[in-house]
Amino acid sequence: MRGKKIGYYGYPPRDALDKQRERFGGDPVDLDVDLGAPDFRVIPEVYCHIIRNIVNNALHLKDQLGVIVAAVGEDKCDQGRFAAKILKDMGFEVVEVRNHNMKRLRPLRIATSNLPLREKVERIMDLIQADDEREYVQCKPTHGFWGVPPHDMRLLELFPNTTHVYGWTRAVEYGTPADLEAEMEVDPDVPTVFYAQSFCAKNALAKYLAEKYDGLYIDVHGKLTNSVIAKVEAFIRLNWDVKHKT
Amino acid sequence: MTLIADCGTSWTKIMEIESRKVKVLPTREIIGNRSLTFEAATGHLGRSRCKVYENELIALSLGGLMLVEEEDFVIVDVGARDTKLCQFRSRRPVRLDWNQACGAATGFTLELLGKYYEIDYSILPATRKRANVTCGVFGLERVFDSIIKGSSIEEAVASFVHGVAYNVYTFAGKPDRIYLSGGLCLNRCFVESLRFYCDVVELGRDVLLWGLVESLRERGYDTDQDQGRDRADA
Repeated sequence: MRGKKIGYYGYPPRDALDKQRERFGGDPVDLDVDLGAPDFRVIPEVYCHIIRNIVNNALHLKDQLGVIVAAVGEDKCDQGRFAAKILKDMGFEVVEVRNHNMKRLRPLRIATSNLPLREKVERIMDLIQADDEREYVQCKPTHGFWGVPPHDMRLLELFPNTTHVYGWTRAVEYGTPADLEAEMEVDPDVPTVFYAQSFCAKNALAKYLAEKYDGLYIDVHGKLTNSVIAKVEAFIRLNWDVKHKT
Repeated sequence: MTLIADCGTSWTKIMEIESRKVKVLPTREIIGNRSLTFEAATGHLGRSRCKVYENELIALSLGGLMLVEEEDFVIVDVGARDTKLCQFRSRRPVRLDWNQACGAATGFTLELLGKYYEIDYSILPATRKRANVTCGVFGLERVFDSIIKGSSIEEAVASFVHGVAYNVYTFAGKPDRIYLSGGLCLNRCFVESLRFYCDVVELGRDVLLWGLVESLRERGYDTDQDQGRDRADA
């Protein structure tokens, strides 16, 4: 058992991860992300790709996983709860956790920094496993990205470094993944792309906020399409021009 | 001579910046001609032939902002294989969309039908009867069924055109006015069908080219702005 990996998804409380670390000694693996696993066809194709990643990754890494720490509360989504149930039913050891922490654990430093957007999002997600004491140069936002880390992370490479991070990812930096108020935080004057994974319930928030703040609402299922790339590029470019003309 | 081009799937529109003259060629004629290059281009096929490339939504947006003076407006470009949309509020983009897959709101199904029945859309009267075109292919099938059941070819095709126009209107968010760009500006039946629902301002086929002119101007090129928006016929 020692040396086996700890699969997790969502944002489990750190002590839940640490407990499994002591037990297995292996590294935690974020099952939400695209690890290149094949499609085991357990989850329907027309379904949130993040949940499909979780199940496909778990099945792909099956023998290497000691346990799966599954976020199943308001901090994740009902689909996360269903995935936990399915994985348990398929023979995985699954520890269900709920991260309802509403007390902010740290100030925003990464979401508002001048790093490339993809790096910002990746470093924020790394906070789930370990604290980050590095210094971050702050920047004034020219654009915003609201949402969860996308299945196809190349989406984030379309944005300038002066993009601030909002939505659930920002709530993760605060340490409060279930805090809807933190998730709804936006800067009304910052042109923002509101992103949700297709078939995720967060599409309701993304569309509502995009309309409220004149942002761009997009949803993406699998790989980025030319249409989505063009939309995001155009939104950034045209708002960039406005920003710099005024 | 400085050339810019909007390289669509079926048609390539080329503008000579100095004279503002626009030439429209079937894209198949330029595919094999690798020596033809442009100062600026848009459209997938233009990417490797130019110094400055803009994606189609940017070209459409910049062109729309150049040609339309309203603060809030919707511009839709209906091409042979795709439909692009930009909605502006206070001249800022609030919706950008690009349907690249569905023939229910694009021009190619109209082209197919027109060629098959030898219909001249410039004289085909629009009809209030609207075919339910939820899918381009099923829609075509309905036209055939309708003709078998006794409808005239003209009535069946016009109702299909009306269905496509309605889909474009819905795709655009049912606005009071649509600024229409692209080849379908030349399809009277389509434009008149769209007018059953909203005001339609036809901007023609060169909107993306004007977007490229604006893009070059922003980059410091001398695009001879004295000529402004005056267009010259090819």
